[in-house]
Amino acid sequence: MPAPPWRINEVLERAETGPICTEKEFDTKILFPNLKRVIKEYDIRFDPDQIVFSDDSLADDLWKAAWDFYLSVGTYCTSTYRRITFTEKEIREAMSCLVEEVYVGEGKDRRRWAPRKVEDTKLPGCGFTPVGVRCDEDLFIPYVMAYVMEPLADAVSTPVLEDIEGLEIKTGAPSEIRGAVVHAMLARQAARRAGRPGIAITLTGTALLAAAQIATSNPEWGCKTTDIRWTPILSELKVGNDELDKMIHFHQNGYVAGCLVGPIVGGYAGPEGTAIIAIASHIQGLVVNQGYITCNFPFEIKNFSTTTKECLWTVSAIYQALARNTRFITLSNGFAAAGPCTDMVLYETAAHGITSAVSGASVLWESAVASNKYKERATPMEARMACETGLAAVKTHLKREDVNEIVKELLKRYEHRIGSPPLGKTFRECYDVEKKKPTQEYVELYERIKKELQDLGIEYEY
Amino acid sequence: MIDQLQKSIIEYDVESAKKIAEKMVKAGIDPIKAVNEGIAPAAKIVGDKFEKGEYFLPEVLLASEAMKAAVDILLAKSEARARQEIESKRLGKVVIATVKGDIHDIGKTILALLLEVNNFEVYDLGRDVDSMAIIQKANEVNADIIALSALMSTTRGAQKEVIDLLEGMGKRDRFIVMIGGGSVDDEWFRKTRADGWAENAAEAVELAKKLVAERR
Repeated sequence: MPAPPWRINEVLERAETGPICTEKEFDTKILFPNLKRVIKEYDIRFDPDQIVFSDDSLADDLWKAAWDFYLSVGTYCTSTYRRITFTEKEIREAMSCLVEEVYVGEGKDRRRWAPRKVEDTKLPGCGFTPVGVRCDEDLFIPYVMAYVMEPLADAVSTPVLEDIEGLEIKTGAPSEIRGAVVHAMLARQAARRAGRPGIAITLTGTALLAAAQIATSNPEWGCKTTDIRWTPILSELKVGNDELDKMIHFHQNGYVAGCLVGPIVGGYAGPEGTAIIAIASHIQGLVVNQGYITCNFPFEIKNFSTTTKECLWTVSAIYQALARNTRFITLSNGFAAAGPCTDMVLYETAAHGITSAVSGASVLWESAVASNKYKERATPMEARMACETGLAAVKTHLKREDVNEIVKELLKRYEHRIGSPPLGKTFRECYDVEKKKPTQEYVELYERIKKELQDLGIEYEY
Repeated sequence: MIDQLQKSIIEYDVESAKKIAEKMVKAGIDPIKAVNEGIAPAAKIVGDKFEKGEYFLPEVLLASEAMKAAVDILLAKSEARARQEIESKRLGKVVIATVKGDIHDIGKTILALLLEVNNFEVYDLGRDVDSMAIIQKANEVNADIIALSALMSTTRGAQKEVIDLLEGMGKRDRFIVMIGGGSVDDEWFRKTRADGWAENAAEAVELAKKLVAERR
């Protein structure tokens, strides 16, 4: 079995020698007309009544449209002002490098993730992730421990530090490297204290640029090769030298290399176009970013959530198209508009979890909440809801049509509030920080929403 | 012809907008009338379509290009008086950038385009822009507003850095500073001592109008 990376030097050379164009030309003369063309040619249509659609031919057409689109457009390198393009044969060769499975974490905390099919009865993996929620240094270790201590968590990501030891962390300044190193140390310490020293951690949110990411690569106190490292795809279908720097480092040092796919619904396109861009981004992710797993968050431009009707359709479309036509290992990263300890956030995360699980996502990677904006407003409870509900849907063999009806019912309960969602409570307000346990208020709310979901047809094991 | 010009902008047809503008010049149509009755209403329709989710960034980008191309042609041979009148109707000059270290610029680009279609003169410096380069450009064009976008909580510090530099250079009062982006909230806004912040591009346009009006 071949393995990534796929022809790194070829990609680097094309980034320096490919056809020159301005970014505006790429957006308006290459990407946009081709996107419009494939939406029309493949007759891709968003149907608000079929959010988790059961039409296999639509999933296949989405894949064909994305393939055609990427072959026509390629990737724009923002650092060299050049297009990187590939032939069909080259992409097929790269696709043959996709792995059948990936192991994350080490020792007893090692977990296997693999591609899944649509309506697969194999369970998805689960990751608990507050994504980039900001937190104070004093809260960092208990905060991470609360996520690591979740029984369903195969892996975790961690909050972001704004300052350490009174030093403000600034991207691009030496303080970014200092902050990233401390972040990595504290996260690893939190995992050890929680009794899961080998759990895979996606480090390090505090480090945005390659230099700071590279600085955390140290198996003794920082990133281990069993951790997951990400390079982002810039919106849309773009890459820069900093991303390529990260990619080379991650591969050279043997990390689990993935890429972040966060197309914007309402940015370059509506749900149809965004789904095609997201699927095409997986091809870029493989041939340019050289990631053999992906983390997806097609979010809505106005409120940074993945839980509008349009976004949930896009989520379902991405996984159905990929699961039916490829063996990408996909992480489905939910973003909710509402904050912790609200009924709305639990409806949103449940909807995202079941949509992803039944559509074929490999891993439920949950959940950024409160529009991923407000300090310390995310807790493991939102991820727990997404994962427990997604797993329950798979264990009881729910079909897409069943989940579609449940999702539509959930949307009725929160969609009207998505423009001005409740921010809820901070981690300190709805968790006992010392014990890393949710407050009674949040537990009772959680159970009440779970009961509502049971009434809608979700059968939980416990 | 004014209707045709309007249609070409709404349909983001750059070449058609250029041709119609050239015909209008040949026909001796008053450029001020063409701008006020053709281009300005078209710009508003394009902005509204974006807000309603009917148009996306590429359509707005192309419509803005069509608009600028038509204005350039209409004004190229017009009298200084006409140019001055059009310029005087501009609401202000904006230097806009995604701050240092931040590579996410869709939100910033959308705001830049919406400001343009709302009659601001916009200098979009792009993404990952050095703080001093932003200040230098604002000085160079005598900007009314400096608009700073940051998606990431780790990069928003550069918004404050621009304001700190302006204060340190004794130039803070010369510019209105607006901040925005996914990581900005009311608490951060207060910390930066910016003049205003907005949740999204549409709100930011209204904020820009309000802040400029207050300053004048």
